[in-house]
Amino acid sequence: MSVQPVSGGVAERPSPTGLADVIDTILDKGMVIDAYVRVSLVGIELLTIDARIVVASVDTYLRFAEAVNRLDLAESGQGLPEIMQNMTQGASAHKTKGVVQGVLEAAEEKLHDLGGEREREPSRRRRRGEED
Amino acid sequence: MSRTSAERGPASTPQDDHGSGFYIYGLVPADVEVTPDAHGVGGETFPVTLIRHREIAALVSEIDLNRPLGTPDNLVAHERLLNESAAEVPVLPMRFGAVMTDADAIIDELLTPYHDEFLEALGELEGRTEFVVRGRYPEKQVLQEVLDEEPEARRLRDEIRALPEEVTRDARIRLGELVNQAITARREADTEALVDELAPYSVAAAVREPTHERDAANVAVLVENERRADLERAVDEFAKRNAGRIEVRLLGPLAPYDFVMAPQEGEGAWD
Repeated sequence: MSVQPVSGGVAERPSPTGLADVIDTILDKGMVIDAYVRVSLVGIELLTIDARIVVASVDTYLRFAEAVNRLDLAESGQGLPEIMQNMTQGASAHKTKGVVQGVLEAAEEKLHDLGGEREREPSRRRRRGEED
Repeated sequence: MSRTSAERGPASTPQDDHGSGFYIYGLVPADVEVTPDAHGVGGETFPVTLIRHREIAALVSEIDLNRPLGTPDNLVAHERLLNESAAEVPVLPMRFGAVMTDADAIIDELLTPYHDEFLEALGELEGRTEFVVRGRYPEKQVLQEVLDEEPEARRLRDEIRALPEEVTRDARIRLGELVNQAITARREADTEALVDELAPYSVAAAVREPTHERDAANVAVLVENERRADLERAVDEFAKRNAGRIEVRLLGPLAPYDFVMAPQEGEGAWD
């Protein structure tokens, strides 16, 4: 395999305020005010976005199987891209790097879409309802 | 009730106003100030202010109760305000969505009864911030590794390829499950290795739940400000050693979302 690390083995230091990271942190972590306050708590309508992805589910399994299948097709293809890679070493390394980045960016986009989706469908769940 | 030193924020409203409340971002020591550029979930309309009581203060902004909360802008504003504050002063961050009726209620029900606990927790956080280290396995790489190591995965792949899609659902689920198991085992080992490597430079560590099926690690650490460079070096070492198999990102400094206290637990989670 010739997959190169995006950052050449040095940890990336992106802005900590990317939406995906924010969702994971502030909807799930931090002090829960309900634990302290009862009387004057205001239950405001929250447009919630479920930060958690259920990792072990049939959907996950099918997605993995699909990805294995894609991987396999790409390998057995032996088509033009492979030949070109052999011809131009430098360019192929660069190309692979682009692919990895593309995958990560696609995942981010998906989350942004999810955010937009949920925004159009406000749910009345309060924070506490999300905890379990 | 000792309210002599209590100070109402400029955004304080009459109590009969049911259209607005106070959004609470977190708690800070009373001797801090809000910089003019601070923005919260209310943008320019509702400035961020402090409601002080003795030695602690709630970081708040007024909020229109008729408008739902939770847009991407709201989420980012909450996190950014807390992270920027945490870079300067100790902060106990609230989970997103904490709203109370008015300034009096915040003093009477939150700041007064828990004053000493909050103050002690803020003292523990002095000079410390949180960092999150995230690792992810690149898809092609990790799947290829699993295929290379697991004969059963290769057998299932071949079976799936040889048969029409409508009869391979069970085989695909089994293959996916195998892949998931293999990745889970890797994640546990890599997370443990990461936590061990960061331990000398962190006050405490909290392993977060994975948020992606290819997560290699999702670990929060509480770090003394003067150990920050050491931590970054350790994370880079980890990234270097795992180059090609784990993409590593370091997020921070963040407010200590993963190291806040819970009531009746005394000292807090980092002890």
